[in-house]
Amino acid sequence: MAATAADIRSALSLKEIHSAPQPKKSSSFTTKKPEGISRELYSLIGPSAPTLAAQLAKPRLKQRPNLGTAGKARWEYRSFKNPGRTDGLELRHWVKASNDANAEYPFAKYNVRPASYAYSEEEYTKFLEDSEWTKAETDHLFALVEEYDTRWYVVYDRYDFPGSERSIEDLKDRYYSVSRKLIRNQPWDGDENAKTQLLASFQFDKERELTRKKYLRSLDNRTPEQIAEEEALYVEIRRLEQNERKFKKERDELLRTLAGIESGLPDIVEDEMPVAFATDTKKKKKGGIMDLDSPLTPSSISLGPPIVKRAQTAKSAAYDAQHCIVRTDLLQTTTNTKSAHTPAYLRSFKLPIPKQAIAPKVTQALAELGILHTRLVMPTRDNCAQLEQLVEATTTLIDTKRMVDKVDYDIKVLKTRLGLREGQGDEEEEAGNHGLGPSEAGMEVDGENEPEEVVGDDRRSQSVVSTRSRKHSRRSMSISSIDTAANVSTRAVMKRQKRS
Amino acid sequence: MVNFGGDEVAALVVDIGTSSVRAGYAGDDTPKAIVPSSYGYMPVKDQDVVMGESNEPIAPKAKIYIGSSGPSIWRPGMEVANPLTDGTINDFHPITPLIRHALEDVLRCTPSEHPILVTEPTWNTPANRERMAEIMFEEFHAPAFYIANTGVLNAFAAGKGSALVIDVGQSMASVTPVVDGFVLRKAPKGLSYSQLPTLIHAHARHILTSHTSYRPAVDLIPRQLIANKAPVEPNALPRFTVREDRLPGTTNSWRMWAERREVDEWIQSVAGVLEQGWNDQAAASRPLKQYEFPTGFNTAFGHERFQVGEQFFWHSPQLAASNPNLPKTIPSLITESLRACDPELRQVLMGNVVLSGGMSLFAGFADRLNSELARSFQHVKIHAPGNTVERRYGGWLGGSILASLGTFHQLWISKEEWQEHGRPIVAQRCK
Repeated sequence: MAATAADIRSALSLKEIHSAPQPKKSSSFTTKKPEGISRELYSLIGPSAPTLAAQLAKPRLKQRPNLGTAGKARWEYRSFKNPGRTDGLELRHWVKASNDANAEYPFAKYNVRPASYAYSEEEYTKFLEDSEWTKAETDHLFALVEEYDTRWYVVYDRYDFPGSERSIEDLKDRYYSVSRKLIRNQPWDGDENAKTQLLASFQFDKERELTRKKYLRSLDNRTPEQIAEEEALYVEIRRLEQNERKFKKERDELLRTLAGIESGLPDIVEDEMPVAFATDTKKKKKGGIMDLDSPLTPSSISLGPPIVKRAQTAKSAAYDAQHCIVRTDLLQTTTNTKSAHTPAYLRSFKLPIPKQAIAPKVTQALAELGILHTRLVMPTRDNCAQLEQLVEATTTLIDTKRMVDKVDYDIKVLKTRLGLREGQGDEEEEAGNHGLGPSEAGMEVDGENEPEEVVGDDRRSQSVVSTRSRKHSRRSMSISSIDTAANVSTRAVMKRQKRS
Repeated sequence: MVNFGGDEVAALVVDIGTSSVRAGYAGDDTPKAIVPSSYGYMPVKDQDVVMGESNEPIAPKAKIYIGSSGPSIWRPGMEVANPLTDGTINDFHPITPLIRHALEDVLRCTPSEHPILVTEPTWNTPANRERMAEIMFEEFHAPAFYIANTGVLNAFAAGKGSALVIDVGQSMASVTPVVDGFVLRKAPKGLSYSQLPTLIHAHARHILTSHTSYRPAVDLIPRQLIANKAPVEPNALPRFTVREDRLPGTTNSWRMWAERREVDEWIQSVAGVLEQGWNDQAAASRPLKQYEFPTGFNTAFGHERFQVGEQFFWHSPQLAASNPNLPKTIPSLITESLRACDPELRQVLMGNVVLSGGMSLFAGFADRLNSELARSFQHVKIHAPGNTVERRYGGWLGGSILASLGTFHQLWISKEEWQEHGRPIVAQRCK
């Protein structure tokens, strides 16, 4: 016997509130069963899956695009005639049935002939006589030119008039000169402009063509070495030109920075050298390059002239004094390297800063006097100079004080040791200490370098006395490191003394 | 229909080469029918005696075997011949059956319904092209005919109007300058083509059949004459039995054809050329290539295989001295051809070098050609199709393009014109 929920509720004496209305609710939901979901499935999953139901709705496809309603194109296998043909050949091809059957063949329009000039017997004898050309040969030439549509290479290739050897230039010259004469002499019913244009299009300069061909041939006949040399020269010229341009640009920039735009220096004539160079490359090759190379080295550039200090006239001096203008000398060591260039700056940016090592002490010392050295309320030239002096003085003072402290301390220590040595025979513990040798003693002295620990010295030696065996190793280590530091400091002191 | 200037009139394109006859519809990108040019025939002995004086190699009614089941099938007493000599048609008797086989048996079309475009090499004779026109009009009843130069067609296949076409086929290598769709013929005859591939073949054959210290001479017995064979170790003597029953019926020409094919297959799969010129170390450093002959003999070929290709580009002075009629190498063909051209054209031609022909697929050929040309010319651009079909059948492809152009259809020689003007019309129309 299975216990129902109601049984358990009654056993736990819980109210049976929901048991009765629940089936009613669900039945009310079933009536709203969404579309596209089967009854069985709905009764299983209930109303708790609305998203699923929405997805189960039958998908609707996008409408098919309408690709023209004209229907299928009909094609026909038709025969056609080509107007370019003189015979009645009819070929067959597929065309759209909608096309006009009687339309002209679409490719007929490409069948064009170039305009050529015909001459009569009379005209030939009148205008076209030439000692080198017979009429038959001229006819042959004109026929060929027309046949091959003025493709001159082909015309020349197919030209085989018996007993004559003609170059392609001969052929062109004859054809164009004859055409020109015909245009000039045949009746012309158009404006003169068109006639001159037409004449220009039939212009041919045989000599020039021959020279050009000759040049081409010589280009072709270069040996690989010559080509390589030419190439190298060309690259060299390009390089030099580029350097020249770069140099000029840098120089301009420099002048602008140093002396203002109106420095009054003449521009370097840029084109001069390459032109001269190009005229006879080969001759100039050896010397020219060396000459051109020299201005590239910056050291040889005389940058001096533009920075020459302009002489101060009395008038300008007075003006300066009136307006509190102070002119500073430019650094003469200026080179044109990038790092050496100093841009304009505010004087207050260049306030003196004490050395890093003693900066806090300087600050402390000045603070005692109530001076803030990092910032000036009025950083005039004089004020800056005074501050600089002040900081310098303070630094010196602190340095001196440190040195004095150190020397004082040394004296004190040495005195203490002297005292200890004098009284060593009386104390047995000190005898053991003595056995360690002079190095140990020296180390001990160096160990108490810092002034603050001067007081603690006695106490420490006492502790050594009591715990000597235990601490020995550790102390010797620390002592050795301190020893070197002390040496350095003493050396520094000596240096300083030498300098002063 | 008018797209790209094309107007297809269902023309047929027939390209006859030494190795094969290619036929197909204009507008296609590959020939549909590729038939070997070599054919087998049974000599008619009785007639031979009767005809006596006739120097025609076969009687018209002799039985001819054409196509893939032609010469490659062994038949007792069958002779094998090739209608082409040096790239031009020498014997017109088998030409009609060959074309008929390609058009009617393979393409299955009626030739009388289609205009036909045929190709010819640059050195074709006027008599030959007129004979071809005659065959097309009189025997195939073609409505229209045109004969076009393979050099021009190769340039068209590469999409160029002006080009220097280097065509290396099975028997001939040629260099043809094409300008504006016309071949320049000013160069004296015989300058721009040579039998170089034949020399390559002979050289390869010599290498294979000569005994060396590292391998025995190779026996070029074709598979049709071998009854059975046993696998052997590389370089070991082959163990095979010859079909003794076939030996008496084997003709000399068939044997030559079959051996030729063995050598060609070896060239195609093993031989190569060094890209940067001959260098003993480079040749030795290349990997060996294994090859097995029909006898079962197999070995790995090292530097020998590169010696073969070297003949394309360079002949040793000893060889040249002992053989005065040595065919010209590719570089000398190019030089001769360019020398005959206008200096203005040289730049144009060298910028449009078109490589074509089946033998140009020789391993390393294009690279070597490039390095050879780059040595003597400044701006060289070689158009070498990577697609083997385009490379082998470049002439056919150009014909396919030409015959499907709308502007071309006024150039056809129609049957009417042929009947009216006769043979001279061919030279007038096809320049």
